[in-house]
Amino acid sequence: MDRKIKAIIVEDEELSRTLIINYLKDFSEIEILRECANGFEGIKAISELKPNLVFLDIQMPKLNGFEMLELLDSIPEIIFITAHNEFAIKAFELNAVDYLLKPYSRERLVEAVKKAIDRIKSHRPADKNIGKLINQSFGDIIERVVVKTGSKIKVIPVQKIQYLEAQDDYVMIYTEDSKHLKQATMNFFEAHLDPKQFIRVHRSYIVKIDQVVQLEPYEKDNYIAILKSGAKIKVSKSGMKNLKAMLNF
Amino acid sequence: MLNNLLSNRRYLLVYFLIWIFISGIHIILLLYTQKFTFELVLAESLVSNFLLAFLGLGLLVSIFYSNIKHQALFTKIINHIILIIIFLGLWVIIDYLILSSSFKDNSGYVEYLKTTLSWRIGNGFLFCGMIIIAYYLLVFYQNFREKVVKEAELKTLVKESELSSLKSQINPHFIFNSLNSISSLTIISPEKARNMIIKLSDFLRYSISHRDEQMTSLKDEMQNINRYLDIEKVRFGDRLNVVENIDEGCLDKILPGLILQPLVENAVKYGVYESVDQAKIEISTSCSEKALKIKIRNDYDPDLVVKKGEGIGLKNIGSRLGIIYKNENLMVINKSNNTFEVAIIFPQEE
Repeated sequence: MDRKIKAIIVEDEELSRTLIINYLKDFSEIEILRECANGFEGIKAISELKPNLVFLDIQMPKLNGFEMLELLDSIPEIIFITAHNEFAIKAFELNAVDYLLKPYSRERLVEAVKKAIDRIKSHRPADKNIGKLINQSFGDIIERVVVKTGSKIKVIPVQKIQYLEAQDDYVMIYTEDSKHLKQATMNFFEAHLDPKQFIRVHRSYIVKIDQVVQLEPYEKDNYIAILKSGAKIKVSKSGMKNLKAMLNF
Repeated sequence: MLNNLLSNRRYLLVYFLIWIFISGIHIILLLYTQKFTFELVLAESLVSNFLLAFLGLGLLVSIFYSNIKHQALFTKIINHIILIIIFLGLWVIIDYLILSSSFKDNSGYVEYLKTTLSWRIGNGFLFCGMIIIAYYLLVFYQNFREKVVKEAELKTLVKESELSSLKSQINPHFIFNSLNSISSLTIISPEKARNMIIKLSDFLRYSISHRDEQMTSLKDEMQNINRYLDIEKVRFGDRLNVVENIDEGCLDKILPGLILQPLVENAVKYGVYESVDQAKIEISTSCSEKALKIKIRNDYDPDLVVKKGEGIGLKNIGSRLGIIYKNENLMVINKSNNTFEVAIIFPQEE
């Protein structure tokens, strides 16, 4: 394979980008096509240029490295470069090639790049199901949800979510002024939304507790919850139990 | 405890002075009420009282070395009474034997000794009781004083450790990111790399060495904040826009060391780290004779959800101000649409 490996850098600090470029200046097997200063630029570059390899920072404004990956349909090989060591496990769960801690040496970067080239040349496909992997790997309570509608990216703070509805392989996220479809499972949201604020009231519904204004009986053992927005969602028997425990009635 | 009391000569001296005083009163009373010679009165008083004084010490020693102190209240009282009776009996018998044999020719006095026996017993009982009560009061007082001292020590200890933990900790990610920038600068601009190393070193030195000092001048504090902001400017370039309105006349005002640092770091964190565009950070001061007022304001995105742990930094600063100035209301936080402002008043001593 004589074609050069196509790479991009997604990193919000200019000097950090310069360092990667300088370290790889004499490394002929790789070509850096673009430098991106944030996750939004990163997504654009990845869909336009279809790089084989991405040097990715994690802490970036508005959209962090992981959230950026979540929004991609197809994931290139990733080398994480960050000053934070606490994300290493998550990075490797995402099948990252390597995880470099700042500051790092030229040798260390070259070693990581060689690993990436090996992977790319052996045509081992990158994990297409990274979305699912991310769903499983997040250990903490999430504070925001990123969604993509067409080419538009939206970051939704969980505070703005009113309720979630299951739709096959997707979840519809309802906020005050809009709704967004995201490829994720209800189980993921049940596990990673703050349980003090969100309750799974039905197989197909998770609701933000402070949105519920009224509960009406419906069929046997089932209820309908009426939300502030006027929306009506189903509440199952076990969902009712969860609600009762949370609201103390 | 008793060892302490006995080995303390002052206590012993006071004890015997009291007995000399009692002896004196005894002598005066006898001289005025009875028709005995001064010699006899003196002997009677000194023998009786000092015998009782020494037996009283013996009583205390036996209380101290017995396990009476650890008994239940009722048995304790009974045992004390039994001890008193034993020592009292000894005293009455020895006292009587000495005095009656010394003055056996003076039949009037021997008669007097016999008739006042019950009175002596009552008196001795009273004195023994008083000795024991005085002893316990003294023990109680000393324990109490020790406890007060210990409590005061503990309080300062807690306060000190509280202060040190409330003080800003240097953020390791800031250091690693700065070192990475330096690493990059060594290739493209060694001169700038050297500058940044010096700024980072000065910043670290200030943060470490000022850890134990409490107060510092605004001038020193601002110098350190500017080092920090200079380093961040190297990292973030145009994204960080710092505006400072520092009144020159305020520079010698005093404030707790490193108290502004976490606020400025927060401003950079929520302003710059989370902003794709330029973010402004504004630091302004004003002052009077009695107070220094500092405002730190930054742009921020209100949609950014409050992260876990945020607010703890601010709370810590509030507690630190509370401990130092004994006033919980010196810090005011103002959130408006797109700006976050913290204002602190530092009272100045005249």
